[in-house]
Amino acid sequence: MAITTTFDLSLAIQQWREKLVQSPHFKAENVAELESHVRDSVVTLQSKGLSSEESFLIATRRVGSVENLEPEYGKVNRNPRAMISHGLTLMMLSVGCFFLWGMLQLPRMMVGNTGLPLPAFTSFLINLKGFLVVPPVLAAVYFLFIWLRRTILRHSWVGFFATSVGILILLTIVTTVALVLPIIDLMNHLPAGILVR
Amino acid sequence: MLTKELVAASTVPLVLSVLTEGENYGYALIQRVRELSGGKIEWTEGMLYPVLHWMEKEDLIEAEWREAETGRKRKYYRLRKEGRKALREEKQQWMSVHETLTKLWQSQPRLI
Repeated sequence: MAITTTFDLSLAIQQWREKLVQSPHFKAENVAELESHVRDSVVTLQSKGLSSEESFLIATRRVGSVENLEPEYGKVNRNPRAMISHGLTLMMLSVGCFFLWGMLQLPRMMVGNTGLPLPAFTSFLINLKGFLVVPPVLAAVYFLFIWLRRTILRHSWVGFFATSVGILILLTIVTTVALVLPIIDLMNHLPAGILVR
Repeated sequence: MLTKELVAASTVPLVLSVLTEGENYGYALIQRVRELSGGKIEWTEGMLYPVLHWMEKEDLIEAEWREAETGRKRKYYRLRKEGRKALREEKQQWMSVHETLTKLWQSQPRLI
């Protein structure tokens, strides 16, 4: 009776390789070197009479799991992809904060002409100029921490991106309220009947 | 089997020593150490490469991708001057530990 094996060695190596490629800790060169190692190992084991499946299982097991290797490679490889994405996210957050700060200056210009005082919340925010510096500073500290840390957690930039977008959205809500308040205030103080005509 | 600590401490001198025999690639390096130690030194094989890359950054060794006789490419590592120097220092340290322990164990063989 013929035994048919469905094991495809090159497919198995391909799939194993894919896991490494997806991790940000390995450079393409590292993956190539590990793959070369596994192939050497498989050849040696096969020459000792093991099947290709057995050889593959033993070879990859001896190399170690991706999870075990990641931190070691992470220490040696600073991750340029993560560094670039963190840089871009930080820039986006800083530009966003700058725009919000600019928008907050609008009510003063607008209401200043009518002679009406600014609503308390709006003037509070305008007087808190320094407060808007806090998120970019916090982001910068976190960014430097991530940047200088030797081991970069897997996909940590997603968390970083989400955090900074969250901060931006929270700030936008506050800014929008501060912008809308003087407009409502202004409309309440319009001379009676001006809108009807 | 060596403890984790001893494996970590001995990897660099072992790699440097094997490379004094001539340039070599990762897989063969591991095989050589396994063979010489009679299987007593077993590395998680993938862990060797980050060490090799660190040694490369420290200029102890240099590396080059070359096509092997099998037609596949392999990364070959070679000892550098700095590596030889580092190995001499390592050798002194390991020998002094070895000599001290040997003397102690020879004078009180029954206690162990």
